[in-house]
Amino acid sequence: MGSDLIIQRSLRSELRVLWVMAHKEWLIFRRYPAWVMGYIIWPLIFPLGAIFTARALSGPDARALPAFAALAGTDNYVGFIVIGLTVYAWINITLWEVGFHLRNEQMRGTLESNWLCPTWRFSLLLGPSLTKLATSLCFLSLAIAEYHLFFGVPMLAGNPTLFLLVLLLVIPSIYGIGIAFGSLVIRFQEAHTMVFLVRGIFMVFTGASYPLAVLPDWMQTVATWLPLTYAIQSIRAISLQGAGLSEIAADLRMLAFFALFMPVLGYLLFRFTERQARRTGTLGHY
Amino acid sequence: MNTDKSTTIHSLSQVTWRSHLRSVGAVAWKNWLHFLRYPLSALFSVVQPIMGLTPLYFLGQSFKTPTGNTGFAAYTGTTDYLSFILLGALLSSYVGWVFWGIAFALKMDMESGVLESNWLTPVSRLALLTGQTLANLLTTTLVNVGILAIGWLFFGFRVNGNVLAALAVAVPMLLALYGFGFGFAALVLLVRDPNILVDVSDYLFSLFSGNMFPVRALPVYLLPIALALPLTYGLDAIRSILLGTTTLLPLAVEIAILLVAMVVLLPLGYAIFWWVERRCKQAGTIGLH
Repeated sequence: MGSDLIIQRSLRSELRVLWVMAHKEWLIFRRYPAWVMGYIIWPLIFPLGAIFTARALSGPDARALPAFAALAGTDNYVGFIVIGLTVYAWINITLWEVGFHLRNEQMRGTLESNWLCPTWRFSLLLGPSLTKLATSLCFLSLAIAEYHLFFGVPMLAGNPTLFLLVLLLVIPSIYGIGIAFGSLVIRFQEAHTMVFLVRGIFMVFTGASYPLAVLPDWMQTVATWLPLTYAIQSIRAISLQGAGLSEIAADLRMLAFFALFMPVLGYLLFRFTERQARRTGTLGHY
Repeated sequence: MNTDKSTTIHSLSQVTWRSHLRSVGAVAWKNWLHFLRYPLSALFSVVQPIMGLTPLYFLGQSFKTPTGNTGFAAYTGTTDYLSFILLGALLSSYVGWVFWGIAFALKMDMESGVLESNWLTPVSRLALLTGQTLANLLTTTLVNVGILAIGWLFFGFRVNGNVLAALAVAVPMLLALYGFGFGFAALVLLVRDPNILVDVSDYLFSLFSGNMFPVRALPVYLLPIALALPLTYGLDAIRSILLGTTTLLPLAVEIAILLVAMVVLLPLGYAIFWWVERRCKQAGTIGLH
């Protein structure tokens, strides 16, 4: 007597799971209008601290601005900071949202039961990530519009096609990092601390608000291993200096490498966490 | 049949000053235990502000001329930018204490479902709220000592001024903040999802009081916001005493503003809290979130 499974798993069923998980996440997002308010308010106020600090450092008569311009390649410190912090804000949102997704499920007590479903477990993370990607892109579009309107920083001023190419290349890296991070969070559990640590590393090493040239050599070496460094560098070059394809080709190559490498790393870490959780039976613990 | 029964109802609990103090101590001790239960978070609470200061330090380096941070000195009267931002970070951590340690902690109790049962105990709300904040105040201060030690050991942080005088100025500033925290906690009770409200308010309050930069560098149309915040004068006065920076107003005037803020905000904050608490009780919304 055969033990045929009642459930027929297929590509269509997996796509349905992806859709259902993405839709569920969208419904949750819509239930909290305050989150939408955050998406509108934060891009406007977040860079203010660094901008006013730079304004104070340059002096009432901008006497220290040439020192900055010599290192940054531009005296437009507002544009320089706004671009860096926008990309940083993107990874920050991803760490909180994608990174916290599994942890939130764990704390609500739904992770274990969801993982018992006869489906590819990665879909359970990938589906919500698609919704987070869509909402993050809305945040990014709003930020670009607000910076143009209120700070006079036209981020699409240079070559918009190149700008979009950089965005497309950095998306897999950002979500690869998010998935890797989310997997580690359910393994080590002190989620807030890990977000602060990881986002702090990106803030310090990628030159989000200052030129990388001021960093000591060892810190500059670390920066070369972070995809965000290349994304920030190339968007600044495109938007503030009108750089073309040839000027940012090296950055694009590195972004393409990370676009392949980071999702694979994220998936491997997810698989590792999944195996560990099955072996130790700690999926429901927190 | 004797119908002459006494109608006086005696509460079993004996509410005294000692019982209030015991309640304050018990709530503070519970929060302290909670802090110790997450050692990685406790350790990281020292590392995190240093990580937060690092980008500001490097931003300062990128504007440095061969004679130091001269642009910054034109606003403040000192080129010691690092000590300026370190002191700003220390003092604004108490703003974080007000927003997250008082207001948001109340909301956390609400979400955990213990606020209603705690408030049913024969303990004054003021005692519960004070206990809630004491442990946070202690941890914030311990974290600040750690940051000062790291700043002193690795970043050359030194102060030349009178530390006791600076502490004396900090007392009315903290008490004024405390009063503000009571009022803000009341507001948080009325909001269903206060995360954004608390986060944005904490950030803007610290920003406009000049935790990272001298408020003189603000555009003219934003300067009134900074001048309306008592914390601005607290930061300015303490930096002036410890680092010798130039003040916005004469030092005596800034201290007088802090004293007035303390006298006004403490009772006002508690009155707002008391009023909102009554409204919540009448509407039965203490347990809702």
